[in-house]
Amino acid sequence: MNFTFESNESKFLLRIADTSLILAQRLAEMCSKGPFLEEDIALSNTSLDLFGRAEELYKIICRIENDKFEPDELVYKRNERQFYNLKLVEQPNEDFAWVIVRQFLHDVYAKEVFTELLKSENSEVVGLSQKVLKEIKYSHLHAKDWIERLGLGTEESNSRTQSAVNHILKYIEEIFNFDDIDKTYLSNTAEIESKWNAEINAVFAAYNITRIEVPPLSMRDYRDGFHSEYMGPLLSVMQYLPRAYPDAKW
Amino acid sequence: MEKFEAAFNAIIEQDLKVEPRDWMPEKYRKQLIRQVSQHAHSEIIGMQPEGNWLLRAPSLRAKQVLLAKIQDEAGHGLYLYSVAETLGITRAEMIEQLHKQEAKYSSIFNYPTLTWADMGAVGWLVDGAAIVNQVSLQRTSYGPYARSMVRICMEESFHQRQGYEIMVQMSFGTPEQKEMAQDALNRFWEPALMMFGPHDAESAHSSQSMEWKIKRESNDHLRQRFIDRTVPQAEYLGLTIPDTKIKLNKETGHYDHGEFNWDEFWNVINGNGPCNQERLDHHKKAHYDNEWVREAASAYAAKTESSVA
Repeated sequence: MNFTFESNESKFLLRIADTSLILAQRLAEMCSKGPFLEEDIALSNTSLDLFGRAEELYKIICRIENDKFEPDELVYKRNERQFYNLKLVEQPNEDFAWVIVRQFLHDVYAKEVFTELLKSENSEVVGLSQKVLKEIKYSHLHAKDWIERLGLGTEESNSRTQSAVNHILKYIEEIFNFDDIDKTYLSNTAEIESKWNAEINAVFAAYNITRIEVPPLSMRDYRDGFHSEYMGPLLSVMQYLPRAYPDAKW
Repeated sequence: MEKFEAAFNAIIEQDLKVEPRDWMPEKYRKQLIRQVSQHAHSEIIGMQPEGNWLLRAPSLRAKQVLLAKIQDEAGHGLYLYSVAETLGITRAEMIEQLHKQEAKYSSIFNYPTLTWADMGAVGWLVDGAAIVNQVSLQRTSYGPYARSMVRICMEESFHQRQGYEIMVQMSFGTPEQKEMAQDALNRFWEPALMMFGPHDAESAHSSQSMEWKIKRESNDHLRQRFIDRTVPQAEYLGLTIPDTKIKLNKETGHYDHGEFNWDEFWNVINGNGPCNQERLDHHKKAHYDNEWVREAASAYAAKTESSVA
C-alpha cells in the first residue's frame, strides 16, 4: 500500500497517534503481570485510553487524507520506517520502574501537547484534546504517585527507578527537536519544553531521583521514521494476523 | 449455640441471605471459602489464555474489546477475593494457597489458545458455560457472593457476545478462518462441558452444598442447559459439534450427547494438563518479580504515616 500523506496536519497528528498506539501496545504487555490486581487493572485502563486515543486520531487523519486508507490499515499494514512514534514509548517493560518512568515522561509531554491542541483550528482535534486531557490527568497522577513511592520507598525501588531513568533519558532529546510541521500546529514549542523540564526536574528532586546529564546524541529523528531495535519485534507481533491472512476480515 | 444454628437454618430454609456477621457453621464457611477463592483464582488465571492473543489482536476494535474483557476478569477476581475476605481469609493467604496448589482454579484455563478463533471459542463456550453456572449462583445463600454474581453476570453476557461475534466473523469468513473456527470448537467443546464438574453421582462437594443452598442446581442439570442452548448456535455458524451422538431427543426436548473423556478431566485437574505448570509459573513470576514494588509501597506508607503522626 502507498502510505504517502498529503497534508502536514496528518503528518503531525500521525506522530501523536503512533506514539499513543505503541505505548498502548507496550502497556498491554503488562496485562496479568502487574504487581497486584488493582495495578493490573490501572495499567489496562491506561492502555485502553491510549488505544482509543490512537484510533480517534487515525480516524481524523484518514478523513484529512480523503479516506484513502483506514485506521486499521495504518496500524497493521505499515512497515517499521513508516511509523512516527517517539522512541521513548518503544522502550521495553524491563521492570515496573521502566513502565512507570516511561509513562511519567510521556504523560508530562502529552499533557503539554494536548493543552496546546485545545487551540487547534481543527474542531475535531479540539474535541478530542478535551477528552484526552481528562484521561491524561489520571494517568499522569498515577505515574507521578508511583514515582513518589518508588523514589522514596526502599533502597531497591529507588535504585531500580534511577536505573530506568538513566536508560530512558536518552530518548528525550529528540522530542524537543521540533520541526516546522510541529511548529505549525503547536503554537508555543519552547514553552512545552520548558514546562516539561520544570516538572520533571521538580518531581525527580522531590523524590530522590537524579536527572543525569545526557551527552548530545547521534540519534536519528523519530520524525523521519527512525527507531530503536525494539520496534521491529513489537510490530511483528502486533501485525501478524492481518499480514498472514491478507484476505480475511476481522 | 443451638439458637444460632436454628437461626442459620431458618435463613437457609426461608431462602434469605446469610450475611458476613451472621453465625454460620464452620463447614459452611470453609466450603464457601473453597468455592469463592477457586472462582476468584479462575478469573485471574483465565486472564492468561486470552492474554496470549491480546498483543496479536487483528484490529483496533478487537484489541480494545479483548483488553476490556480481560480487565473485567481482573475486576471479577477482585470482587470475589473481597467476597472471600468477608469470610475471614486474606487475599495474600488465598494467593499463597494457589501457589502451593492447595487451591484450585477452573481446569479449562489449562488448555492453550492456539489461534485467534480460540478467542471466539473461549468467549462463546467458556464464558457461556460460566454464565449458566453463575446465573444459578445469583440465588446462592451467601449474600455477598450472590450480589457479586449479579454484577459479574451482566459483564459476562457481554463477554459471551464478544466471543460469539468472533465465531460469526470466522465462520462466515475465508475458508481458512472457518477452519480455525471449527478447530477451536473441536478443542474447546468437551473441556467447556466439563467445566460443570463431574456427574452428580461423583461430585464430592455437591450434596452438602445443595442443602446449604450454596449451590442451587446440579452439575448435570446445568450442563444440559448449556448444551441445549449452544447446539443451535453452532448450527447457525455451520459448525459441527465434535460429538457424533449429539441429537435432539423429541421426548425429553433436550439434546442427548455422548460420554466425555473423564480420564482427561481428572488428569488435568490433578495438574497434568497442557498448561497447568505454565499458568501457575506465570502467576508466581508476576507476583514474586514485583515483590519489591509492594515493599516500596508499604515502606512509603509506613514513612508517610509516621511523619503525619
